[in-house]
Amino acid sequence: MRLRRFLLRYYPPGIILEYERSSGIEESKTIDLLDLDQNTDIDATVEQIIRHEPLISESKRPQRTELRDKATSTEHSKFRLYQALSGHELPLTNCAFNKSGDKFITGSYDRTCKVWDTHTGRELLSLRGHRNVVYSIAFNNPFGDKIITGSFDKTCGLWNANTGECYYSLRGHQTEIVSLSFNPQSTLIATGSMDATAKLWDVETGSELYTFAGHQQEIVSLNFNNIGDLIVTGSFDHTTKLWDVRTGRDVHTFTGHKGEISSTQFNFAGDLVISGSIDNTCKIWSVRTGTCQKTLRGHQDEVLDIAFNAAGTRIVTGSADCSAKVWNTITGNCIASCYGHHGEISKVSFNPQGHTIITASSDKTCRLWNVETGDCTQQLQGHTDEIFSCAFNYEGDTIITGSKDNTCRIWKSEDYSDRQQYYDMQ
Amino acid sequence: MGLLTLLRKLKRSDKEARLLILGLDNSGKTSCLRKLADEDISQTTPTQGFNIKTVMSSGFKLNVWDIGGQKAIRPYWQNYFESTDGLVYVIDSSDQKRLQETSVELNQLLEEEKLSGVPIMVLANKQDLLNALSAKQIAEELGLHSIRDRTWQIQACSAKTGEGLQQGMEWLVNTLG
Repeated sequence: MRLRRFLLRYYPPGIILEYERSSGIEESKTIDLLDLDQNTDIDATVEQIIRHEPLISESKRPQRTELRDKATSTEHSKFRLYQALSGHELPLTNCAFNKSGDKFITGSYDRTCKVWDTHTGRELLSLRGHRNVVYSIAFNNPFGDKIITGSFDKTCGLWNANTGECYYSLRGHQTEIVSLSFNPQSTLIATGSMDATAKLWDVETGSELYTFAGHQQEIVSLNFNNIGDLIVTGSFDHTTKLWDVRTGRDVHTFTGHKGEISSTQFNFAGDLVISGSIDNTCKIWSVRTGTCQKTLRGHQDEVLDIAFNAAGTRIVTGSADCSAKVWNTITGNCIASCYGHHGEISKVSFNPQGHTIITASSDKTCRLWNVETGDCTQQLQGHTDEIFSCAFNYEGDTIITGSKDNTCRIWKSEDYSDRQQYYDMQ
Repeated sequence: MGLLTLLRKLKRSDKEARLLILGLDNSGKTSCLRKLADEDISQTTPTQGFNIKTVMSSGFKLNVWDIGGQKAIRPYWQNYFESTDGLVYVIDSSDQKRLQETSVELNQLLEEEKLSGVPIMVLANKQDLLNALSAKQIAEELGLHSIRDRTWQIQACSAKTGEGLQQGMEWLVNTLG
């Protein structure tokens, strides 16, 4: 066996080894370093990896230090408004970056999805064809050459991200499509609908492969796990279901919530699912056994959004009680509570490094918070109506926010500007 | 409110009637809604998108959608037609120059398949202004009496004073009930 390439993955930290077998076949192997933190003894970690992994040699040692320092950076940089984009005629819905962060997309009540250049703020494409609100949108990351759009017109559009050409309009749902995702390999599309079903489609042919039927009410959340062999769906019927992508069968039904599910997610390792609910709690479920591991209690009102950090060690919950809370995944203990918003929090997420969370609120601001202390490190002010969506790019140095005020705003960290000026001078 | 709330409002419910408020820009749709919800109407600005409020009338919960009326965004009214139980059409009774325009828009709405048979309450708003036409005059100008495919009613009102608004909602609730 011969090591061909040695790749670092920052968020979550890991090492990917591309090697060639003696037979000439190329394979890859991933070593996850999910527990890496600032205090990690990097030499001991390296020794351990070398002992277990014959493919790695001593010469790779310096890069691993770089991995620790970058992946676990705790610098809280300040963000500044970079541009306000007013290309949409009506309120925005969701927004999303591609993996490299050079482009992002926005959905809107004006029935379009727009593709934007993150650096210039220029509108690159306006994807037209839907006959109603474009609600849910996604890039096929990490590739980024395709986009899917789920609309209230009951269809899902599959588009070329570079030319705007519509490959397919996926028809079959009876009502609004409100959640969707590519599988990690970008060969399948899953859509969730208010018609209580989810469907699986083939990217290449645009044909429908399976209908996941079983929920009693609207499906509002849907995600693939990292391998792409399972899908989780969250429904207004108070349950979360796990589906086998290969057979279309339901694997587990997670029951226990006493209200509608608002949001679901797999952790990076794929052994846990979290679900947020209108019953004021978030639950952690075991993918293997289908049982509830922990119930995160503390919010005084509906939990509207939830998210894992990149490594899956922390969970953030955003609530109608105007607060966000950070939890330890293993213990289920609340680590920090974030108070300060004057309106409900409808979106939450971690930055890729995991030391900051962002919250979007009906009080027209987004706020950034220190994960460990719950202190607000910054307010992003400027939107004139409530904020529906927000996202970090993969580097964590750019934020986009989508609002009911018909605009999208790009915010860049001051580090980013410094670096850009440096590049401009070269 | 958030996107999730929008989805929950989208859902058809037995407990909540869904009302749509439409009409030309500056007819007073948002003011009517705010007045119904007991809110201050002095700061009202043109609606670029939509406003949603839950108001109570005669013990019923009304899930009311107020949609911006500027010409450029009227084609998007269709976004909101699904699952509508009742339509409220607001008219600026003092703006006689635009009666023709509002009549055309209303007639187009009456022909919409997704709104077929949906009861309509026409609010003859701004009755507090001296030059306002009466509800009777407006009904004649708009030819409301030729509407045969649904129940309809016209109600004189003023979003400024609140006069007539409750009566209008009560009529709709009774019709839906």
